[in-house]
Amino acid sequence: MGKKLPEHDGDGLTRRSILTGGALLGGAALLASHAKLGELAGLVRAAEARELPTGEYDRATPENILYSVCQQCNTQCGIKAKIRGGVLVKVDGNPFSPWNLDPHVPYRTSPFETAAVDARLCPKGQAGIQAAYDPYRIVKVLKRAGKRGENKWMTIPFQQAIAEIVEGGTLFRHVPGEENRKVGGLKEIWALRDPKLANALTGEVKAIMAKKTPAEKRQAVEEFKAKHREQLHLLIDPNHPDLGPKNNQFAFVWGRLKGGRGDLIRRFAVDAFGSRNAHGHTTVCQGSLYFTGKAMSEQYLDGKWTGGKKFFWQADQQSAEFIIFVGVNPFEASQGPTLRAQRITEGVSSGRLKYVVIDPVLNRTSGTMAWKWLPNQPGTDAAAALALIRWIIDNRRYDERYLRNANKAAAAADKEPTSCNAAWLVKMEKDGTPGKFLRASEAGIAPKERRPTSDGKGTYEFDPFVISLGGRLVPFDPNDAKNPVEGDLQVSAEVAGIRVKSAFQLLYEQAAARTVEEWAELAGLKASDLEEIAREFTSHGKKAAVDIHRGVSQHTNGLYNCTAWFALPLLIGSFDWKGGMVGGAAYDAGGGKAGQPFPLGKLHPGKTTAFGVSIIRDGDKYEDTTLFSGYPAKRQWYPLASDIYQEIVPSAGDAYPYPIKALLLYMGTPVYSLPAGHTNIEVLADPAKVPLVVANDIIIGETSMYADYIFPDCTYLERWEFAGTHPSIPWKVQPIRQPVIAPLTETVRVFGQEMPCTLEALLLGIAEKLGLPGFGKDGFGPGQDFLRPEDFYLRMVANVAAGEKADGSDAVPDADDREVELFLKSRRHLPKTVFDADRWAWVVGDKWWRRVITVLSRGGRFEDFARAYDGEQLRNKYGALINLYQEKTATTKSAMTGKPYLGIANYTPGPRDFLDRPVEDIGYDLHLLTKRVVFHTKSRTISNYWLLNFLPGGEFLINTQDAKRLGFKDGDRVKVVSATNPEGIWDLKHGRKKPMVGILKVIEGIRPGVVSFSLGHGHWAYGSQDVVINRRTIKGDQRRSKGLHANAAMRTDPVLPNTCLSDPVGASAVFYDTRVRLVRV
Amino acid sequence: MGKKRGDGVSESTMNRRNLIKLGTAVGVALLTSAKTAGYRAAGASTVPPAPLPAMDGTADSLLRMQAEIRRALQKPVEQRGWIMVVDGRRCVGCRACVVACVAENVLPPGVTYRSVPEIEFGSYPEVKKYPMPTQCMQCDKPPCLPAANAIAPGSIIKRPDGIVAINYAKFRGRAAFRAAAKACPYKALYYDDGSFYTQSTPALQAYERTVGHDYGHHWVREPKKASGPPAGGGRKCHFCLHRLNAGLLPVCVSTCIGRALYFGDKNDAQSLVNELKEKNKNKILRVRENRGTEPRVYYVTDDPQFIAGFHS
Repeated sequence: MGKKLPEHDGDGLTRRSILTGGALLGGAALLASHAKLGELAGLVRAAEARELPTGEYDRATPENILYSVCQQCNTQCGIKAKIRGGVLVKVDGNPFSPWNLDPHVPYRTSPFETAAVDARLCPKGQAGIQAAYDPYRIVKVLKRAGKRGENKWMTIPFQQAIAEIVEGGTLFRHVPGEENRKVGGLKEIWALRDPKLANALTGEVKAIMAKKTPAEKRQAVEEFKAKHREQLHLLIDPNHPDLGPKNNQFAFVWGRLKGGRGDLIRRFAVDAFGSRNAHGHTTVCQGSLYFTGKAMSEQYLDGKWTGGKKFFWQADQQSAEFIIFVGVNPFEASQGPTLRAQRITEGVSSGRLKYVVIDPVLNRTSGTMAWKWLPNQPGTDAAAALALIRWIIDNRRYDERYLRNANKAAAAADKEPTSCNAAWLVKMEKDGTPGKFLRASEAGIAPKERRPTSDGKGTYEFDPFVISLGGRLVPFDPNDAKNPVEGDLQVSAEVAGIRVKSAFQLLYEQAAARTVEEWAELAGLKASDLEEIAREFTSHGKKAAVDIHRGVSQHTNGLYNCTAWFALPLLIGSFDWKGGMVGGAAYDAGGGKAGQPFPLGKLHPGKTTAFGVSIIRDGDKYEDTTLFSGYPAKRQWYPLASDIYQEIVPSAGDAYPYPIKALLLYMGTPVYSLPAGHTNIEVLADPAKVPLVVANDIIIGETSMYADYIFPDCTYLERWEFAGTHPSIPWKVQPIRQPVIAPLTETVRVFGQEMPCTLEALLLGIAEKLGLPGFGKDGFGPGQDFLRPEDFYLRMVANVAAGEKADGSDAVPDADDREVELFLKSRRHLPKTVFDADRWAWVVGDKWWRRVITVLSRGGRFEDFARAYDGEQLRNKYGALINLYQEKTATTKSAMTGKPYLGIANYTPGPRDFLDRPVEDIGYDLHLLTKRVVFHTKSRTISNYWLLNFLPGGEFLINTQDAKRLGFKDGDRVKVVSATNPEGIWDLKHGRKKPMVGILKVIEGIRPGVVSFSLGHGHWAYGSQDVVINRRTIKGDQRRSKGLHANAAMRTDPVLPNTCLSDPVGASAVFYDTRVRLVRV
Repeated sequence: MGKKRGDGVSESTMNRRNLIKLGTAVGVALLTSAKTAGYRAAGASTVPPAPLPAMDGTADSLLRMQAEIRRALQKPVEQRGWIMVVDGRRCVGCRACVVACVAENVLPPGVTYRSVPEIEFGSYPEVKKYPMPTQCMQCDKPPCLPAANAIAPGSIIKRPDGIVAINYAKFRGRAAFRAAAKACPYKALYYDDGSFYTQSTPALQAYERTVGHDYGHHWVREPKKASGPPAGGGRKCHFCLHRLNAGLLPVCVSTCIGRALYFGDKNDAQSLVNELKEKNKNKILRVRENRGTEPRVYYVTDDPQFIAGFHS
């Protein structure tokens, strides 16, 4: 092999021979080599050693402590990192953060006074030490030495790797079968480089998509082609300009991502490279919940529904008196454990709070403290919600005063922070389904009028909405803050020959389609329990809430499950009220607020516009595109969602709507995480389908093992990010992640600067090689260079420090001299590659430097405890319209069936395929669910050996009744098989197959008919198996491969067999609608 | 070394490589001194506790308990009476306390000082699952003490503040451990066999060789000295004596995410632990009280099943 690889036997291998530990070997090599030096250091430092009194405890010493943010799961708790001799030895909770202490200490508290205060932190957070110091971490760039997925690698120098992916070429001629395969580099894909042209083409493509008929579109395309003859080579397909430029054939895909890195990726992939394909992983987590929030938060502005926020609400657990938790497990998951558990246990033990958990599997939230555990039939979440809705409306226990408010003025008159569209009238279609809202001109009660748009630059046609009040029709503007309009709730009438119903009436009709008893039977619950919950929910004024998560959203009917459950707090109007529903608020780090010094989005010379439909077909309607050719489309389209993780790789595999030439995967592992993730292996393992796959990972993981290159990243303990907030937090916050230990990855040189190999180095490296605008010298504008990660992130810290008031009154105070000294001293173990005080001070300037220190010395910015509430309401309010009826949803069609979606909560039995047909797997008698236990995060905590003290192989649960029926007993080894994986295996390619075998645990606390496996186990990469690097075998650790990971049993869609079942509306990847059989092995 | 920063503050010290190993080297040196010194009752820390933030009546109960510890430290050791109260209703079973303990005390595989077994009660759908945090109960009549001392005299002592302490220099080998472990009705003793979590991986990691502080000494477990203390002997919870002496709570208490664990001085009438005992006096139990061990860990529960589970 050496002969074939002359170009790889240079620098990389030389360095490896110096690091005697071997190739991979991240932590390993580095720390092993330090150990030798350490023996010398011991002698050298003997004098200093004698200065320490015997047994002194140095973990409460301010200069040994740094505050940052955990990322062992997405709760993003504050952490207090305790360092000894440069090694992170203990992680506790950050007392400044409301995640960790209740109440958290006032922000002005000195870090000298918090050194001795350790706040709470969950087991995963504390085991984060082992995520950083994982002996299987990679520290140098790996290039594939064998076929994709063969796990044969070589180390190559960082700059060589950058050059290869930018320039392309026959990069894998050393691999049999790829001798002549030419890989197109990013240079070639970055075709459209003129931002002015991109901007112009964006407008023209929009105009083509706005044409009403296919014929008009064809005509417009011909005109476009004639006009842009010289530029057509920049497009993916000149006959379909709406696919956008070739730039879109670069896809940037990420798993866990927060602010900072998120802003940087957007700057790189979208604003500089001009690709439409920068996609996250939302739908694998709780997509349909997010897109329910988006649909419910759309506002009517300038004549259209817009501004829907991708977010959701959670319960204010610190003041609520009653909470209904559905498919959510805050003691173990769901952005919960450290943040939420103490407030809930306090509430229950003090008698303030009562809660119920609806979930088929007993978990730690329902196990001890819940008033009721209601194990429902999976996928019937909306049925249970509709039972409650029916009972509440029948018994008139809703907040009529709140619901009648039709516009801002009416809500304000009632001192309600939000309004909802319950009273608005909706037109009924001929087939009896609800369509658009009735408008005043249609009702003949008021004319349309032209109004100036909100930016004052244009005008739009305003046709007022309509309510009915005592039989009289009243036109209104939802944004009118002066003239209150209230409407009747139960309206069903005919207006000017049009059947109309109020949104509230539509909800009631859905709920009244069955009796409470019938709903209960569908849900597999007792009607008496549901009635009791409904009564309790309506017995606490505004201090009641509904809290839902993946268990509700990851079904084919996910969006409607979520919509039905969120209708309940609307019925009592508890949004923005103390003890009700919270939306969350974070300090803007991007510089978008007045008074913030660095508006990073604007500080981007040469910023371009990305356009065209995306590879996952989000945000656009199939019917608007030139691809439209009747139903079904080749694959589903998602106008109401984004970040549709399960669509990325399979769509690339199908080259629909176009092929992807290069894929960069950051901190994501779709193969392991997605339902039926094995389908991604088929695509990724085939270089013909995606010619270039680059991963940025801390380890060789289940997905990155199929990459062509793996650039080592730093863990969350060695780098930056801005964690934002969660919906259950009433305070305005911005936790900031920063390096607390020296980076373990190799030092690389980019833009003349030394920095550790990380995501940032990779992006800056590519940007340097390509010459991407907005990076390098004067990257932010004249005199403002963007050469290093800190150039970006410190500006963001300064924005957070500045606060959000134009007059500067919201800025944090300067750090005093003592605090500045502590700031420097506590970073004495950090090398200049990650901490350079002189440069840092220069980047933010004198005005901000001491304020930046104030913020970083506290691990971010957190409002004081007392600022949670304003009387009985939240201080940080959502404060806008909430849609009980979703007009935008009702005017969107499935690209597969051509039928419009319903705009109101409803129960649609699942699972269903993309053609809306029921999926019935006869003969598969058990319903497969996953479970998150508090000890693990999905794909990346198996390296945390401390956590393997508990459930070392996870748990695979079955009810006693099923075990008896099937003749299984506790401890039996069984294989999981399903209709789309009858063999019960993961096919890893190259002859490797991993059977899905688990050890049964027979319990009472699970609904009969259901089996559930805990996530995080059953690995086949991530250090669990042998890999070859530079022709040396690195032995895997068997502790990491134990247990069952049954995602490959999850149902693929009958219409699109390379994709899991999905919610066609809210886009969730479906985890919980698969039926399986267990086979004894 | 000593580079002047822009703002005039001197950057102390050395490059990172030297620093990484320093902790271990120091530990080795101190281990020797601890050995020769044998056991001594660790008294007050040689450094005053770091200050605490000011607090009002609404402060987190962690701060209140921490202030109480500092109050107790003002008294002679024999007047302190450390006890723990576990509110069984609030334990969420997360094992944060276990991981905290392992990390704080640099414990090897197989040694956790505490555990949280969970027991399922009832039958579907009326099911409860209770976690039951357990540890060394620091008995006032500890059965482990005579059992261990019969084999290894002076290896376990009862401290005046209530903590049952191990003398690592004397509590050596399997025999003494087995005797003590067998006598303990709480399964609270663990044997340190000298292993490491990362020893079979590409490299033993530095965090496993950092200093532990059991009983106020510095201990470093070295792979080549597997027979040296604390490896090669029994180990157990000591209420984080080293943290108490530094004015901090036991780490299991400060990290508990459900706030089920409380700690304080039973001789302090104003202490939170006394308040909790008083407030819940009909719901307090001690595990296997019938053994006459007089444990110092009190459980609050109102579910008879929980009690039954504990006594089973």
